[in-house]
Amino acid sequence: MTLAIKQVTKKYKDFVAVNALDFTIEQGEIFGLIGQNGAGKTTTFRMILNLQETTEGEILWKGKSVHKLDRDFLGYLPEERGIFPQMKVEEQLYFFGTLRGKSKKELKPDIDYWLERFELVEKRNDKAETLSKGNQQKVQLIASFIHKPEFLILDEPFSGLDPVNRQHLMDSIIYLKKQGTTILFSSHQMDNVEELCDHLCILKRGVSLYAGGLQQLKEVYGKIKLSIRTDKTFDELANLTGVNRVQKTKDGFTLFLEDESYSEEIFHYLNGGKYMEKFSLDYLSLDEIFKLKVGEPVE
Amino acid sequence: MSKLMLLVKQLYKQKVTSKSFIGLTILYLAIIAVVFNWSSIKDVFKSDDSNVKIAFVDETKANLYDQFPSSDDLMFMRMKDSEEVVNKRVKKGEVDAALYLKDEKGKLVVKLATADSLDLEIQSTINQLAENAGKIYSVQKMNLTPEQAKQILETQTLVKQVDLSETVASKTSDEKSAGILVAYIIGFLIYIFVTSYMSMITTDIASEKGSRVLEVLMASVKPSTHLFSKLIGVFLTGMTQIILLFAGAFTIAKFSSKSELVNGASSMMKQLSPSYFIYVSLFFVLSIILFLIIGALAGSLVSKVDEASQVMMPGIFITLIGFYVMISGMGNPDSMLIKVFSFIPFTSGMVMTLRMGATDVSNFYILVSLITLAVTVMALFAISLTFYKRSVLTYSTGGIIQKIKTVLKVTT
Repeated sequence: MTLAIKQVTKKYKDFVAVNALDFTIEQGEIFGLIGQNGAGKTTTFRMILNLQETTEGEILWKGKSVHKLDRDFLGYLPEERGIFPQMKVEEQLYFFGTLRGKSKKELKPDIDYWLERFELVEKRNDKAETLSKGNQQKVQLIASFIHKPEFLILDEPFSGLDPVNRQHLMDSIIYLKKQGTTILFSSHQMDNVEELCDHLCILKRGVSLYAGGLQQLKEVYGKIKLSIRTDKTFDELANLTGVNRVQKTKDGFTLFLEDESYSEEIFHYLNGGKYMEKFSLDYLSLDEIFKLKVGEPVE
Repeated sequence: MSKLMLLVKQLYKQKVTSKSFIGLTILYLAIIAVVFNWSSIKDVFKSDDSNVKIAFVDETKANLYDQFPSSDDLMFMRMKDSEEVVNKRVKKGEVDAALYLKDEKGKLVVKLATADSLDLEIQSTINQLAENAGKIYSVQKMNLTPEQAKQILETQTLVKQVDLSETVASKTSDEKSAGILVAYIIGFLIYIFVTSYMSMITTDIASEKGSRVLEVLMASVKPSTHLFSKLIGVFLTGMTQIILLFAGAFTIAKFSSKSELVNGASSMMKQLSPSYFIYVSLFFVLSIILFLIIGALAGSLVSKVDEASQVMMPGIFITLIGFYVMISGMGNPDSMLIKVFSFIPFTSGMVMTLRMGATDVSNFYILVSLITLAVTVMALFAISLTFYKRSVLTYSTGGIIQKIKTVLKVTT
């Protein structure tokens, strides 16, 4: 394992911000940390970054405590973006790169590459404050990994980005993963997490509700999401045995089952087991699992 | 290059190339240029026939006209006409004023009649001349010989000061005057420095904190490194401005028509011992560092740059107290108030500088004050290292006390 969070707790007097958090991240993996506002995501990031001390537990990078390591192996994009408003784009990237131990010569090709990739070449000599919010975010993002960190922390990287730039960012994260960068990120946009992450941790009020593989999490719940097109009414479907919830969609209904096994019985009920235009049984999406999980009481 | 030096370089470059720094330095130099060339500037605005004409009517028969010598600014014109006639000439503007000298019960009475009031400087000159003439008139009335009259008028009793202390060499009055002047300059510099550079460090940290760029920096460097970089960067910026001002002032003085100002200043400096300058430099540097630390701590407390002025107030208020105590002590630098404030670290930079220059304070007391200041700087720096790490990433609302409470609450 590359990063190990071992029974980490953070307390502020009587308030427990993070409670016995425990997960590991492997080399070159994209790991998602998800939770509602105030769940403890940023506190966890800050403890990894050594901006805050842990009350209990330890955080290890390749077996060594992060508190004892030089911080240049890290890259960080905070939730609320921060760059020097008066500094020019290129100057800014050189500054953050050299601050992380790289020489200007080493940085030059990477700065050229990323400015090109994020369509910022023409803005390289503009002051950051003159850029649009989206472009400022792109500069901030490039600044966070321009020194090629081994480990990159992205706190809500997708917030405020338009669909085109969101795709740019997704592609960049995948590119960085291919380069061997280990990435930990948080997001409220579950589709992004689902698309990018291998493993994840769901936090609720500082407590980990789940930490592990995304597919394993889906398998825990099983294929209980049934999408159908039928002439039955909402009430008829809601009263079926094994159906927990019914949701009307634009081209039919989605039934959330107690268990995957009820699907066969429902199939026969709907059309006598004959041809149906739509009958699709799927795993729950991460968004749906998240809503279910955070709705559960914390043990 | 180390991370500290990178941060210092970035801050220094940003500050010294900022419009406010360049503008302010040029403004200060312009003020210095105006001060050094004030006489020449005044002459430009003065027309050739602008000297004030005063009708001089002496009714005493003591021949006091010689006691009122004319100058470039002021011309006395002896007249024999009656007061009524002369007053008419004043009203017509033929002369600017009329001066009547009369005898009343053996004393000289001087009356100045004007249609428009005279400049304060002219009035003051006439007052001095009239006072002198009054003395001469009284002496003349005593029927003394010219020698006796001269002796009385020129009598001046000097107090010769003898210092019986064996440890301290007593300062001459010239040394004390020079000391007061240097103390005033140093006090003023500390005041200007503290207000502008404490404000600079506070707003800089507050702005980085508000824009969240501080979180990115903190993920890369230790809080102590960041604090150091701010202190060094702002200190160097301030020193650069001072060097520019001194160099600029020297150059302006050298080329200005009144270069005797430089000669006067340099002869005044010669009155002061080298050790005095060493002490003054140490007090100056330590005081600046002390207030920069306070400014950095203040900046780390606020969540956005708009709140910076609120947290800066206590620091600026302390400096104001020190400055006013120093100003009030110029007339009486041996007062208890001055003695007490010369040992308080937050005011000693200004007040002890005054005591050193204007009194015979012993080296022992100077060292006690200096060591107290140095220890305070070190203690405050040690405290600030711990506190800064906690406060710089804590965002809170409310007043200063509330902010400190929040920092202590969420970080302990």
